[in-house]
Amino acid sequence: MPDINFTIDGKPQTAAPGETILSVTRRMGLDIPTLCYNQKISRTTACFVCVVKDLKTGRFLPSCSACPTEGQQIDASSEEVVEMRRTALNLLLSEHTGDCEAPCTMACPAHASVEEYVRAGRKGDFLGALKIIKKRIPLPMSVGRVCPRFCEKDCRRNIDSKPVSINDFKRLSADLHYDSYMEDLPALNGKKVAIVGAGPAGFAAAYDLRLAGVECVLFDKQPEAGGMLRYGIPEFRLPKAILRRELDHFRKMGITWECGRELGKNLSLDELKSSYDAVILAVGSWKASSMRIEGDELAEMGIDWLGAIAEKNWNGCANPGKTLIVGGGNTAMDCTRTAIRLGGEATIVYRRTRNEMPAEAVEIEEAVEEGAKLQLLTAPVRLYRKENGKLSLVCQKMVLGEPDASGRRKPEPLPGSEFEMEADTVIAAIGQRTVAPAGVAATKRGDLEVSPETLLCTGTDNVFAAGDCVTGPKTVVESLASAHRTADAVLAFLDGRAYVPAPEFNVSRGHWSSLKKDDLVYLHEVSEAERVKPELIPLEERKTTFTEISPTIPAEKIMKEGERCIECSCTAKSDCKLKKYATLLGCDPKKYTGERPHGAPDTRHPVIIYDRMKCVRCGTCVKVCGEIINKHLLAPMNRGFKTVVGTAFNTGLPLSCKECGACIEECPVGALDWRIKD
Amino acid sequence: MSQIKRIKVGVASCGLAAGAGEVMEALKRNAGTIPVVGVGCIGHCYAEPIVEVETDGGSVFYSSVKGSDDAAKEILALTDKGRFEIPKLRAEKEALYVTRLAGRIVPCDMEEYKANGGFEALKKAGAMKPSEVVDAIKQSGLRGRGGGGFPTGMKWSFLAAKQVPEKVLIMNADEGDPGAFMDRSMMESVPFQVLEGMLIGAYATGATKLFIYCRAEYPLAIKHLKIAIKAIQDAGLDKLPGREKALEIKIKEGAGAFVCGEETSMIASLEGKRGTPRFRPPFPTDSGWNGLPTAINNVETFANIAPILNMGADKFAAIGTEKSKGTKIFALAGDLRNPGLTEVPMGVTLAEIVYDIGGAERGSVKAVQTGGPSGGCIPAEKFDVKVDYDSLKELGAIMGSGGLIVIGNNRCMVETARYFLSFTHRESCGKCTFCRVGTMRMYETLERITAGNGTEEDIAFLEDLGPKIRKGALCGLGQTAPNPALSTIRYFRSEYEAHVRDKVCPSLVCPTLVDLQLDQSKCVKCRLCIKTCPASAISDGFVIDNASCLKCNSCLEVCPKKAIRRVPRGEGFNSNNQ
Amino acid sequence: MLSEFSYLEEIGHEKGDLIKGLQLIQQKEGYVSDDAIRAVAENFGMSPAEVEGVLTFYAQFKRVKPGRFQISSCDGTACHIKGTPLIQQWITAELGIKDGETDAEGRFSLQTVACLGCCSLAPVMAINGRVYGKLDRRNLVKILNEYRKMD
Repeated sequence: MPDINFTIDGKPQTAAPGETILSVTRRMGLDIPTLCYNQKISRTTACFVCVVKDLKTGRFLPSCSACPTEGQQIDASSEEVVEMRRTALNLLLSEHTGDCEAPCTMACPAHASVEEYVRAGRKGDFLGALKIIKKRIPLPMSVGRVCPRFCEKDCRRNIDSKPVSINDFKRLSADLHYDSYMEDLPALNGKKVAIVGAGPAGFAAAYDLRLAGVECVLFDKQPEAGGMLRYGIPEFRLPKAILRRELDHFRKMGITWECGRELGKNLSLDELKSSYDAVILAVGSWKASSMRIEGDELAEMGIDWLGAIAEKNWNGCANPGKTLIVGGGNTAMDCTRTAIRLGGEATIVYRRTRNEMPAEAVEIEEAVEEGAKLQLLTAPVRLYRKENGKLSLVCQKMVLGEPDASGRRKPEPLPGSEFEMEADTVIAAIGQRTVAPAGVAATKRGDLEVSPETLLCTGTDNVFAAGDCVTGPKTVVESLASAHRTADAVLAFLDGRAYVPAPEFNVSRGHWSSLKKDDLVYLHEVSEAERVKPELIPLEERKTTFTEISPTIPAEKIMKEGERCIECSCTAKSDCKLKKYATLLGCDPKKYTGERPHGAPDTRHPVIIYDRMKCVRCGTCVKVCGEIINKHLLAPMNRGFKTVVGTAFNTGLPLSCKECGACIEECPVGALDWRIKD
Repeated sequence: MSQIKRIKVGVASCGLAAGAGEVMEALKRNAGTIPVVGVGCIGHCYAEPIVEVETDGGSVFYSSVKGSDDAAKEILALTDKGRFEIPKLRAEKEALYVTRLAGRIVPCDMEEYKANGGFEALKKAGAMKPSEVVDAIKQSGLRGRGGGGFPTGMKWSFLAAKQVPEKVLIMNADEGDPGAFMDRSMMESVPFQVLEGMLIGAYATGATKLFIYCRAEYPLAIKHLKIAIKAIQDAGLDKLPGREKALEIKIKEGAGAFVCGEETSMIASLEGKRGTPRFRPPFPTDSGWNGLPTAINNVETFANIAPILNMGADKFAAIGTEKSKGTKIFALAGDLRNPGLTEVPMGVTLAEIVYDIGGAERGSVKAVQTGGPSGGCIPAEKFDVKVDYDSLKELGAIMGSGGLIVIGNNRCMVETARYFLSFTHRESCGKCTFCRVGTMRMYETLERITAGNGTEEDIAFLEDLGPKIRKGALCGLGQTAPNPALSTIRYFRSEYEAHVRDKVCPSLVCPTLVDLQLDQSKCVKCRLCIKTCPASAISDGFVIDNASCLKCNSCLEVCPKKAIRRVPRGEGFNSNNQ
Repeated sequence: MLSEFSYLEEIGHEKGDLIKGLQLIQQKEGYVSDDAIRAVAENFGMSPAEVEGVLTFYAQFKRVKPGRFQISSCDGTACHIKGTPLIQQWITAELGIKDGETDAEGRFSLQTVACLGCCSLAPVMAINGRVYGKLDRRNLVKILNEYRKMD
């Protein structure tokens, strides 16, 4: 029979008789997505993710099964065709239940591969853990100490116990191996980037850029580098010797910095713009917000107060005496605990209840342990100096009303409830703002305005921004996440490419609060031991010195803690075709909703796990077991939406299964898999 | 008085369900030497049980006959009471070619079939070359009566062109459309006519194996076909002219899967597999049952063959419209006075079928549903449409196999669409994504709307996903599954909007959107409703508590005074709201 | 092969007759048990999983023993619009069984079927193959009572 001439996307093609359209597109180098097509077995024609359009008839054809006909015009790439494929994938996703990534990884703003480093730690491979951590957390010693642990809040162990103490894996891994581990550094490529602000965001951006061969120089107005880590976070939470060790590593990587350089004073943005290929502004968010009450000027500003003490290295600072700290965030806690260590008597004044405090629960708890008093449901109205020289904070009692935009119940003043509190020092720790450098556009909130497409600062052609000065005051790990994005955008800019943010796609079984223990897959026995607790230094020492409040938890305890991890992520996340194509086509797992198959994954077989909630009903495993292995142990059962792959009498894979793994090998998703993770 | 020669009782399935078995027994007890025979269905199902008394002065019909000795005696006395005449208007509109013998002859009596012209067509065909038979069918313009409307002669020519020793011809008797019963009736009433068509088909195409794939829900049809096949084999009619070997004829019973009406599914099922369709090409005429060239025709198509050869292709082609030749049998059911079967020339209007033949009252009908779950609803305003393959398609419906359900004004169109999707999503084979998951998602959305939990977005959702399923699904089932939803949205959008916006079912059908209310002024305190209520929702004071009421209508049915009615939700008493 | 299913022999061993084999089993036993599946698999040289895959595709096959009186409630289009949902509610109220269920005494079982082809008599049901048409609440209860008495 003669060859068949036809076109794909307008380009003439020739197919041998019997050759499918998919096969021709693959020869062309066009990757048409398909889940069910598999050369090793007879045609399935099930997933319909590979559809193309016959332009003459208007029909959609599964390219895995349709052979071209003479003169046919195939549309394999138009948006209409892609939308059909996306619809097929979205429909499959509407019944596909699992976790691509573990919830901890998804919760981490920097998307550190939490499950992977916890597993390495569980096995005692802390250097391996550190390598995984550093891919997303270039400052693991600091983050390992100060992170508010977003990951742990979403840990599935919350269902039946307490979360895995994830951050302590980071801290230990870094403490053990930080100094001895050096990344493979590529040769410099001649591009140079200036970074203004040597805080966590600046260093993280420099880290990414250096690993891509870009030379980086940081400039900071403070006498010492570290930004908020150096001047915001007190010594007892992050000892500065450790910070210096951590930053030293960047110097070893060839990253340099100059301190005492301030924009507009002894540093010119215009000069940086012209002498470097790109500039990153990572100047942080340092301007403390005022209480906006009469007598405001009599109060200390939280972050400035902490900074002044930091500059003195927590040495020889005056006792603040009776101290009122207004605010409920982490800065308020840091002020409180610093005041106590300086010999003061601290009371936190907060307008809502303890539940609504934005500070980490553990910080509040530790502050209270150290003697802090809480004056809740109280808002300052006026501050004045009394005749005896003391300050008096006039306050008003509050009650909680309806929830506001933040979801927290809104405090409302109780009329006639005014009272006064006497103090030596009043510290306002109610928030910070960004101060945009001269000549850089700011948003209404005051943060630097960047283009969402290029991440360039508005109106500039090579100035980028990262960290708190873009996002407003956030945590260290969030500033790292911001810095990674900015570094990606800078690299694209330096290469002359368009910046395309890495597409994010993830399927989740849901938040732990909506799940039961039985809903999860257990690949190994999960330890029922209690969560490891850090051993704090004696309370008296905590109250009187700036010594770090807890030593690093030792390896043997951390390894045991690792046994508590469920390892929620999908065994097939690295080679799942559904994930790959869903990411590529911008699918939304929530686009279609409705009934999903339920029932726990089948773990009756000792080494093979079958999770029907992940199955896409492509029938590949059935055919592999039947046509290739000739065992016929699997069969499609039922029909319609209830179709599942099953075994005889639903007794699980029988002993006659040779555990050859052929079905696992060919499963396009993670429905059939080995019961192990590497 | 006329002499009674023979008494015929309609004992097809619907006749039996109406009590024809008892009627026949009663007549036999009282008829003495007069033969009492069972025949098939003449199509006037609304009048069952029907008795035809053959006299030397012609036939007399009785309808709605009781199975008592008194009734039998009255009939034997040829009483005037209960006589049945075919309504004039209906007789004018009908064109009985294919169903000419249905209900008129004893189904399994080969001699009677022969005496009425049976097997003349086979004889005629045998005198022609096979290719001439194919040409004649082509010339007649006959299109497949199963729904697709593919030209039968063309299909046969594909099979005939295959030069292989073994070929397969299948009769699709899996009449799966809920609401259609033409094929059942033909197999029960004139099995020989159906089989004669098949034999002619085998002759024309060179097929050597004949399979009849019949749904198991039709035991009487299977029984009649088996008897007829045996008779054909005994008479040697299965040995076609010019053939050395007799045909292999087998009946295979379906096992309850609508999708097996799709030809590649049917073939898979005949091979003993799960009835899942496969992508075409290869078409069955190239590679079908066990790889052999295979053609599939539906029962009514085969039933057309002998009449075509008997009357001549030209005469057949003169009936109907330009592109749809001949007649079509419709199964009328639903909200009309005279449900049953009717054979009409292609091109009559829906109005003629629904009002003139079906006896539905003008103004009482909201729509008809044609083509079963694959079809669509056509609103009453469009009833002047001429019924043929193409014009129904234009209206978003299809001819289908001939099921025609009349939907009265008191029915809910959203609920009707929900019903069809509940059917198709259950009957989906589960192979292709669009049908397996897509129909489920449409069904869930319709459930939500009928339960009063729908939103405007749900309507938009159906309008977005529906066309994608049409375009993307593998086989006819999935490709047509959205039709009932899309066609009802097209013509009855206001009903959807009432459900989602106002949470009202305008027809007071959807259970969660109605209350039941007892009108105290009509109530005679007989307590029947209280005794009947399965949910104990009616108080001793004769108040229906809608908090516990199941909306099952039990009370409404038993109330002798019709004091209970359905009202929009919120209008009845509900203890939860007090 | 288990001797109790030796009658499968009469069908032969052609895989194309698998469905026929299962139908024969169901006709004789009323349902298809695990043992029957094993016997069918052996007869046709297939794995039990394959047999179960085919069996579960078709609505006709029952995997549990049905009641002595099998009620098939027709939910064809005509029956549906004429009240099958209500008929089923009434059956449930009378017998305490829902679609797909059998009562504790093994007396009645209820199954929804697609269409019995008696649409002109809608709504209809069949009990052990006998079709009852034009159902309303009164005659339904009467019919059910007759079967109750029969038992």
